[in-house]
Amino acid sequence: MRFFNLPDLGEGIPEADIVQWHIHEGDSVKEDQPMVSVETAKAIVEVPAPCSGVIARLCGQPGDTILTGAPLVEFVSDEENNATVVGKLASDDSTDNSDESFIIGAPPGIGEQNTSSDLHNSLHRLAREFQVDVAPADRSRQPQTVAYPLEQPEPLKGVRRHMARTMSQSHACVVPVTLFDDADIEHWPAGEDITIRLIQAIATACTAEPALNAWFDGASESRQRHETVNLGLAVDSEEGLFVPVLNDVASMSGAEIRQQINELRAAVKERSLENSALKGATITLSNFGMFAGKYATPVVVPPMVCIIGVGQMREAILSVDGQAVSHRVLPLSLSFDHRAVTGGEATRFLHAMITQLQN
Amino acid sequence: MTDKLTMVEAVNLALDHAMANDPDVVLLGEDIGVNGGVFRATAGLRDKYGLKRVMDTPLAEALIAGISVGMATQGIKPVAEIQFMGFIFPAMEQLICHAARMRNRTRGRLTCPLVVRAPYGGGIHAPEHHSESTEALFAHIPGLRVVIPSSPVRAYGLLRAAINEPDPVIFLEPKRIYRASKQVINTDILPLDTCFTLKTGHDITLVSWGASLRETLAAANVLASHGISAEVIDVATIKPLDMATIVTSVKKTGRCVIVHEACRSFGVGAEIATGLMERAFIELRAPVVRVAGFDTTMPYYRMEDHYLPQVDDIVRASIKSLAWR
Repeated sequence: MRFFNLPDLGEGIPEADIVQWHIHEGDSVKEDQPMVSVETAKAIVEVPAPCSGVIARLCGQPGDTILTGAPLVEFVSDEENNATVVGKLASDDSTDNSDESFIIGAPPGIGEQNTSSDLHNSLHRLAREFQVDVAPADRSRQPQTVAYPLEQPEPLKGVRRHMARTMSQSHACVVPVTLFDDADIEHWPAGEDITIRLIQAIATACTAEPALNAWFDGASESRQRHETVNLGLAVDSEEGLFVPVLNDVASMSGAEIRQQINELRAAVKERSLENSALKGATITLSNFGMFAGKYATPVVVPPMVCIIGVGQMREAILSVDGQAVSHRVLPLSLSFDHRAVTGGEATRFLHAMITQLQN
Repeated sequence: MTDKLTMVEAVNLALDHAMANDPDVVLLGEDIGVNGGVFRATAGLRDKYGLKRVMDTPLAEALIAGISVGMATQGIKPVAEIQFMGFIFPAMEQLICHAARMRNRTRGRLTCPLVVRAPYGGGIHAPEHHSESTEALFAHIPGLRVVIPSSPVRAYGLLRAAINEPDPVIFLEPKRIYRASKQVINTDILPLDTCFTLKTGHDITLVSWGASLRETLAAANVLASHGISAEVIDVATIKPLDMATIVTSVKKTGRCVIVHEACRSFGVGAEIATGLMERAFIELRAPVVRVAGFDTTMPYYRMEDHYLPQVDDIVRASIKSLAWR
């Protein structure tokens, strides 16, 4: 304390007159030692020293009036140089002065790296101590797809996971349009191999309209039309969807196609399919109707621009030459990527395919 | 000089030495002469150098800055004190429109070797207008240097350098640490326009300036006690900014926490973060984090500690940064 101000000596007494000092400038005083007698409107009061110290100055002579709150005595104090008109400056030399030495600019050299496991362990101790939840920041940099909390999550693996990703990517970039139509196959002999007929019809349609036997790269906005028809055949299995490829189907006979399909199906079943057998398709056939389903909106998988879905063959009542007749029909669903293929090209392709099937 | 001095005593010593060294150095400001300054930064200098070199001015900051610009262009080296940074705004017209542009305006024929000293920042339980950190306002102005010491040694060395500098320097003194600690002053003049690395480390870079370096160093010690090695950088010269030192450090650590008590948005911290994004994007292993004051009016003293970055805030931000994968 540097200045001791006259305290309020009664209830709101505004001032007091000095009667007599009991101390002199330069005296050492003890706490509670009487310093001065003052006269208020009510009484003569002794004012004690608020603390021990050395008196530097008495702020008035006997007879002077001191206002309540004004300096009464000044102590010798090393606070002299600390005086400010506002605020308080803390002086705390207890903290570690670790900046006693410093480097101008950056330190030379690179220095050692912590091993990551050391850092990991100490970080998690520290995070617990400071109650910081570090889990959210532990996420992969890859943003996850929408997280629904599952009670018993079964992470997808292998082919099924590949399917999930492929379909998501396709959905994110392809602009799909699907055409539906039927092929009248009433004239087919009994036991005709539907899959072979479909593949041959696709090969013919690709010649008629090559725009659908193509790849498209959206990033560079460019396409590549293929000379040969490499047909991806969607094959269902317990593990998920496989699409093995039959290369250059246009050059194969029906028997060769059937043999290769059988080999591929067997390989899918045994999981012995070579990775190369799953690559390079230029167009896809999904013959999903073996069990049920009439039409579908099959998903175009880039870089291909087209997929043909075939539903369950059925008997349908058709109007032929004005007569209601019952014919066998195959329901066809053709999805195409409208970024790369026009509606005209797609309908010409489908028309060529139906013509070939009905031939 | 073997006595340990506080920062405000180091400022006083720097002014004393600069005046003894160069008769062109003069001081002016409110209450700096007879009274010795409200923080005693100029105590004893009027008696030593006389009232022509230590001038008490009226309570008029525009006048203080204007006179300083006039003197500076004519070969005198004024060191003006603005009593609190909160009162500097009337002086800004002179500083921005004249001092900062003098060299450019006269195609280099005139320079403006003035220093404006101002105590700044919070944490001393002061009333309104006495606690803000508005360094970014000056850092934004081409032609102004902005220098902020964070220890007695750097206060001495940087103020001497600022007075020697031929162009205007805004020298902001973090008053919260005016008397916080004492150091032996070795009277070295330190370079401007460079950061100072106070502590070397390799896991994370903590960048700060002014009074907040106390909390930043304390946070680095907390991290060190858990085996995490933090590099601590004192920016010191806010403008021009020595990004090279900060970039070098962050390229090493991959992580950066910036600590400043100025309000969060549109500040020096944002400038540093952007510089890191531009120059160390590949090396960054986590987003740059700012621990800063709030985008509010600086509160009165009861709420002051909630506003100012605390040690725990810095440690928590560091944990978040270190945990980023």
